[in-house]
Amino acid sequence: MKKTHIIGIIVIAISIGVIFGSINDSSTYSNFTESSKNEQAEFHIVGYLNKEKPQVYEPQKNPDLFQFYMYDKDSVERKVVLHKSKPQDFDRSEQIVIIGKSKKNEFHADQILMKCPSKYDNGSPEFQSPEELEKERTANS
Amino acid sequence: MKYIGEHLIVGQLGNFFVVTSFCFALLAMLSYFYASKNEDKTWKKLANISFIGHTASVFGIVAVLFYMLMNQYFEYYYVWQHSSKALPLRYIFSCFWEGQEGSFLLWTFWHTVLGSIIIWRNGKLTTSVMAIFSSVQVFLSSMLLGVYILEYKVGSNPFTVLLRDHPEFVNLPLFKSADYLLHLDGRGLNPLLQNYWMTIHPPTLFLGFASTLVPFAYALAGLWKKRYNEWIKPAMPWTIFSVMILGTGILMGGAWAYEALSFGGFWAWDPVENASLVPWLTLVGGMHLMLIQEKKGGVSFTMFGLVLISFILILYSTFLTRSGILGDSSVHAFTDLGMSGQLLLYLLSYIFIAIVALVVNYKSLPRNKKEEDLWTREFWMFTGSLVLFISSFQILISTSIPVINKIFGSSLAPPSDAISHYNSWQIPFVILVLLFMSFSQFLKYKKSAFKSFSKAILRSLIAALVISGAIGFLLKMTNPFELFLLFTGSFAVLGNLDYWLSILKGKFRHAGSSISHIGFGVMMIGALISMSQQKNISNNTSSFDVEQLGEEFENKENILLMENDTLPMDDYYVSYRGKEEEGVNVYFLVEYMKRLPNGDFESVFTLRPRVQTNPRMGNVAEPDTRHFLDKDIYTHVTWAILEEDKKDEEEYGEPEVKNVKVGDTLYLKQSIVILDSVRRILPIDIKQVELQESDIAVEAKLIAWDFNTKKHTLRPLFIVKDTSEIYGLPDGIEDIGLKVSFNNINPKDGSIELTFIQKNVSRDFIVMQAIVFPYINLLWLGCFIMIIGTIIAIYSRVKFGK
Repeated sequence: MKKTHIIGIIVIAISIGVIFGSINDSSTYSNFTESSKNEQAEFHIVGYLNKEKPQVYEPQKNPDLFQFYMYDKDSVERKVVLHKSKPQDFDRSEQIVIIGKSKKNEFHADQILMKCPSKYDNGSPEFQSPEELEKERTANS
Repeated sequence: MKYIGEHLIVGQLGNFFVVTSFCFALLAMLSYFYASKNEDKTWKKLANISFIGHTASVFGIVAVLFYMLMNQYFEYYYVWQHSSKALPLRYIFSCFWEGQEGSFLLWTFWHTVLGSIIIWRNGKLTTSVMAIFSSVQVFLSSMLLGVYILEYKVGSNPFTVLLRDHPEFVNLPLFKSADYLLHLDGRGLNPLLQNYWMTIHPPTLFLGFASTLVPFAYALAGLWKKRYNEWIKPAMPWTIFSVMILGTGILMGGAWAYEALSFGGFWAWDPVENASLVPWLTLVGGMHLMLIQEKKGGVSFTMFGLVLISFILILYSTFLTRSGILGDSSVHAFTDLGMSGQLLLYLLSYIFIAIVALVVNYKSLPRNKKEEDLWTREFWMFTGSLVLFISSFQILISTSIPVINKIFGSSLAPPSDAISHYNSWQIPFVILVLLFMSFSQFLKYKKSAFKSFSKAILRSLIAALVISGAIGFLLKMTNPFELFLLFTGSFAVLGNLDYWLSILKGKFRHAGSSISHIGFGVMMIGALISMSQQKNISNNTSSFDVEQLGEEFENKENILLMENDTLPMDDYYVSYRGKEEEGVNVYFLVEYMKRLPNGDFESVFTLRPRVQTNPRMGNVAEPDTRHFLDKDIYTHVTWAILEEDKKDEEEYGEPEVKNVKVGDTLYLKQSIVILDSVRRILPIDIKQVELQESDIAVEAKLIAWDFNTKKHTLRPLFIVKDTSEIYGLPDGIEDIGLKVSFNNINPKDGSIELTFIQKNVSRDFIVMQAIVFPYINLLWLGCFIMIIGTIIAIYSRVKFGK
């Protein structure tokens, strides 16, 4: 057997290892109901902010603690405790991804990703409402 | 209705160029194909003319788009979407390539420049190479067409007019008046992109993307014309160029993220970053295999595979970032603009072409009959290239999780801690690559004697052990992987330096590879040290107790800083000095100070992290970093009150009693106070009350520094009158909102009892994060050396044909 064949076999073996290993490291997208069933495991939860309920951020007490209420994709609502500072522009976010674990009736997240579609949208006119445009027009003239 | 002041003719000219660029590309592809197939001069002439026509058209599109942006023709959707009246002219380039159409145009533009150089050089295989080039141009120019074929939209045109091509705008009240243009303003540029990085990064990265087409086209031409080895020589300088420029583009992205974005580091393993790193790794592997094939042969299949896949991975990375598939997993993923179908077709076509070319030629590829020797340069270069391939494969798999979900319907999420996931996978690969890199050059092609080889590497091996051991000891590094990486990094640097100086005698024309390798080694050492030794210095040192809030507060990264409060952080005392507004930017002044032996504070530097306010697109925070030779101090405001708040009524609060000894320091709301001395003074010196000679008066001298580091002195008195009447005479300073009275002396421990009354102030504050990155300059130095090395290699190749 040639050395190149041996190397080839090693490369293939490592590649298969890489595939399973990397996928094994991955987490899962889920919802609050699933995450409550397993409080040990880490979940990614996609959802949106409940704008009706209060958000608590008191940096004077603890700059690394922010609490809010969020719905997951099945519209299940849960209190989220984020162990980070309140992201700038949080209120504008349309979709939130939180990463963390369930703990009793709360979800403790240590990472948050927000999608503000306005930043990368394709410029639909609704973005600037007719009223806004009108206001701008009167302001300009 | 007749609208006033529209510039429709400009758009028509632009559209004309869009159509001619597509037609010329198509014509060039077909005629190059026939020219290559029949070795025909006439076809070649026609083809060259078509490609020049195509190039001129692309330049035309670019010029028209610039003209429109420069003159702010907001009737055009692209100008309206990416620019605004208030936007400074220096961001015009950023507007140009902010949108998908503009960035595809930039890519196409670089292809025409590179293609024109190939035509001008007119070397071997030019017609075949240009046929492949032109086919890519057909795809790319179709991306700008914006026409409907069988109800399917082909391309997105940058010259559409709001009122004519976008019916959703027509009914808005603004457009009801004929002179709507007088009142129309653009939406403006995303504030995140309003900086000079956005001006220099995209053109560099897209030149990198474009340059990978050259080795791809040459390799494919080599397979097509069955010139399995002849394509390497003309393609080689281009491949090195591609490695250099794509690498520069990627590193620039890292530098941008570090300087201006709040990633908190230079490499966050973000999917968008990974997408361009993967093809770079495969291309570096491919380039080394091209060297082996040129010198000795025997690796043609792997070489073709890696070179071809690099370009395909560039297409794949474009697909990933532009199709919106990364959606939830990336901070800066782009939304789908309806081009993903076309991009996918483009990607699959080239995958198909590459596979067919490889399969058809598989049997006839040149092979070496002889068994490879273990101690040859090519053996270790080959193995190293495969390690690069596996390393890129791992990044590819983890980055492609959203694609895997789409194909298999699974709901996998990317690793929660991306940085540690990728680092733990990639560190072993880097160690191997550095190790192979350090000794392979000492081996000869074909065969080397192991004895002389081991003698040659001994010097740098020992030196590397000593140096890495010393660094590891000084920095108290304990992780075995990190230590091993430090060792192989040092070995790679020293081994290549030794080889260049003692074996190549320091000759410039052969220096390219050694210097690039040294640069890579230095870069990896810099990355290792700055990443593993980075220190978050903004731990909570304020007086507020956060532990009561819960047990899981060990990873505190942010700190609350009240205006004019001074908190110790690492070697510094840090104070927030208020904010300054300049246009849309709010700058927060964060002063870093040192304490002198006499207790005074001395300002060392002030950082100005900022928040850019933008009511339409959201606010963007930008960090500020102080660079020193041996470290960087990164400061980022994570949260702040942006609106000016109304000041509450300032009142004195509840008294606090404290026992203080001489020399004690107290951190108060508006000052830092030291008890300087306690001494008995003569009763006659006291003006406030009338005292007898027999009365006792004790003065406590307190030195208070306010947050502008101005010094104040307070002298409260403790008086014993007529041997029984005890009272204190308080002292206070309005400026720092402090009153102190002296209540008692505790003879036991020599302390005195003081009562402090402090003014309640509602002050401005920021929540900030500060990180020290030690020796990050090694990383940038390494990048710089590596780029210099590749430039030398290109120069030697072109000049000496070596």
